[in-house]
Amino acid sequence: MTTAPATADITLDALDADPYPVFRRLRAEDPVAWVPAAGRFLVTRHEDVLAVERDQRTFSSVEEGSLMNRAIGPTLLRQDGDAHRRLRAAAEGPVRPRAVKERWLPRFRRNADALVDGLVERGRADLVADFAGPLAAANLGALLGLPAATPADVQSWSQAFIDGCGNYADDPEVWQRCADAVRTVDEAVDDAIPFLREHPDDSVVSSMLHAADPLTDEEIRTNVRIFLGGGVNEPRDAISVAAYGLLTHPDQRVDVLSGRTPWKAVFEEAVRWVAPIGMYPRQVVRDTELAGRRLSAGDRIGVVVSSANRDERVFDDPDAFDVRRPAGPHLAFGGGPHFCLGTWVARASIAGIALPALFGRLPGLELTDPDAVRMAGWVFRGPLALDTTWSS
Amino acid sequence: MPTITFRQPDGAELRVDAPVGTSVMKSAVGADVPGILAECGGQAMCATCHVYVTDDRALPPVSDEEDEMLDCASAPRTGHSRLSCQLVVDEDMDGLTVLVAGEGP
Ligand code: FES
Repeated sequence: MTTAPATADITLDALDADPYPVFRRLRAEDPVAWVPAAGRFLVTRHEDVLAVERDQRTFSSVEEGSLMNRAIGPTLLRQDGDAHRRLRAAAEGPVRPRAVKERWLPRFRRNADALVDGLVERGRADLVADFAGPLAAANLGALLGLPAATPADVQSWSQAFIDGCGNYADDPEVWQRCADAVRTVDEAVDDAIPFLREHPDDSVVSSMLHAADPLTDEEIRTNVRIFLGGGVNEPRDAISVAAYGLLTHPDQRVDVLSGRTPWKAVFEEAVRWVAPIGMYPRQVVRDTELAGRRLSAGDRIGVVVSSANRDERVFDDPDAFDVRRPAGPHLAFGGGPHFCLGTWVARASIAGIALPALFGRLPGLELTDPDAVRMAGWVFRGPLALDTTWSS
Repeated sequence: MPTITFRQPDGAELRVDAPVGTSVMKSAVGADVPGILAECGGQAMCATCHVYVTDDRALPPVSDEEDEMLDCASAPRTGHSRLSCQLVVDEDMDGLTVLVAGEGP
């Protein structure tokens, strides 16, 4: 393997702080780059990311020694082919667009209204911790069918799983917290199953139990974990990035609030601009070539959708947040068989409800100090906090 | 092998060999037809493989899943709208022309 010297300097800290300049350079100079710090070849151009997503027989989701498997077990995210299809089919009913619209939107709206009701009088809040996070958690708990779980439970489980899946430092405390969360979630699922078996409803666990090819209790416990891991941070960060984008671009905000630009465009631009999941892993299972780079079976790949979403070959002025740009083929939801299951839930609950509620009901909403806002992460990315005020 | 022609909104056309038994979407993606992103890989889950078929030869009926997803397509849905991933190529499709819907206006 030839190592381009430039990539040896790339540190995980630098990627964490701001990965975009690094990715811009890789797209130009080394689009399938061996990055020692990440232990992977990073695929950074839009066209190559698409090629990987479309070829799961060469680029497998099953990764040897996967931290995710160690943390939360063999969920559908780390399976391919028929095994993956079966699990996905059992879970999919409640998150398809019609079910979302007819059965879940009223619930999501109540959750958002209740949170905003609690905020209005306060006149100030951190939109990440006080709105986006709790809303994502409340919606997810309901959707899964775990009514006894509080939003705080859901958020802490989710964080424990995410930390476990990214525990490259092998920190024993992180493993412990993850194992504790697995146990508590298993108990919550075990508590929910007997009732849902007798009384089917619109939830994901119920769907898994009553599918044409139903899942076993063990499969349900395992796969609920991936919904928890993927169902809080991503909507939280999408809401937060969208809010940050509009709060720092007043002209675009005016356009949106006057109805000239739809909320849908705000949501799609937010997840294009800062993809909540920036990178996900694949493993090469047969020798191949990608963008002129020879890859061998066993090589690890990082599919960098956050870079594909800023590929200058596809998007004009890609680093700019611009809700008026023409709809383009961003890859924030991934692609192929693993295309994000939560796509339609996110579109409906964020573009349809969360963002209009925030900007519609908090008059004069503004950032306390726009320059103080920090985003972090390159595998997952979003603002750490959004301190805001409004006239109460 | 049947051939299918993909016409873009601007009139550009691409004629593609479409193996019997695969989807119309797959033949488009294999030939890099612009505007068929097919994000979900053919699961009727993304609506980014939307096409208009005006040719009145018999096509399979629209399933419930295809129907709900067509409602989510970004280009306007018409009576001719189909998800190309749900159309399986057969010999009768030889010579079919479909219009790529893309992102819409
Ligand atoms: S490829 Fe996604 S709906 Fe057809």
